[in-house]
Amino acid sequence: MADRYGLYLADKGITDRATVIIDAGGTVRHVSSVTPAGKRDIAELAALCEQLDAAYDGPVADPPPAPPGLPDNASLYVKDHCMFSRWALFARRNLHLEDGLPVTNVSRDPAALEHLRTVGGKPQAPALVCGSDVLYESKDIVDLMVRATQPAL
Amino acid sequence: MIPVDSPAPSFTLNDHLGRTVSLTRFRDRRHVLLLFYPLDYTPT
Repeated sequence: MADRYGLYLADKGITDRATVIIDAGGTVRHVSSVTPAGKRDIAELAALCEQLDAAYDGPVADPPPAPPGLPDNASLYVKDHCMFSRWALFARRNLHLEDGLPVTNVSRDPAALEHLRTVGGKPQAPALVCGSDVLYESKDIVDLMVRATQPAL
Repeated sequence: MIPVDSPAPSFTLNDHLGRTVSLTRFRDRRHVLLLFYPLDYTPT
């Protein structure tokens, strides 16, 4: 992809640190490079985006509706030394859910493990519990977190 | 570098959430900002 945009540095085997802005009509409106060792000026780019947006006279859709968010009663159960639990925890962090999704470590809380067995039928973590609904597969857990928090493309 | 005012080459990639993203999906809907970078764990 970088090659098609003329931004692949074949002699170095890396992609340039570059920025491209494409308008909604599919036309390249800006290309710049700060070199691989450089640093982008985010404020400058933000101002440029606003300028290009204001100048664009083609159709642009309304913003997508806000994602629904996780249910208030959602809770994540994890256990020690479990890569699937770590995956769920990484997703929780990367999706900025630390404040809205409490975590219980069943390796250190036998009562929580028993609660998980009662609610979901299996003493298995990771698990995402929303009331009486329990997801045990880490991919299902992460997918739900994404659907709940990320706007549709 | 690709010239300004030229048609943007199409692409289809996976985003950081594993979703498939194509440039065509944004046609007449959104402007698109592409940030290219040389290596992971370097500044955006």
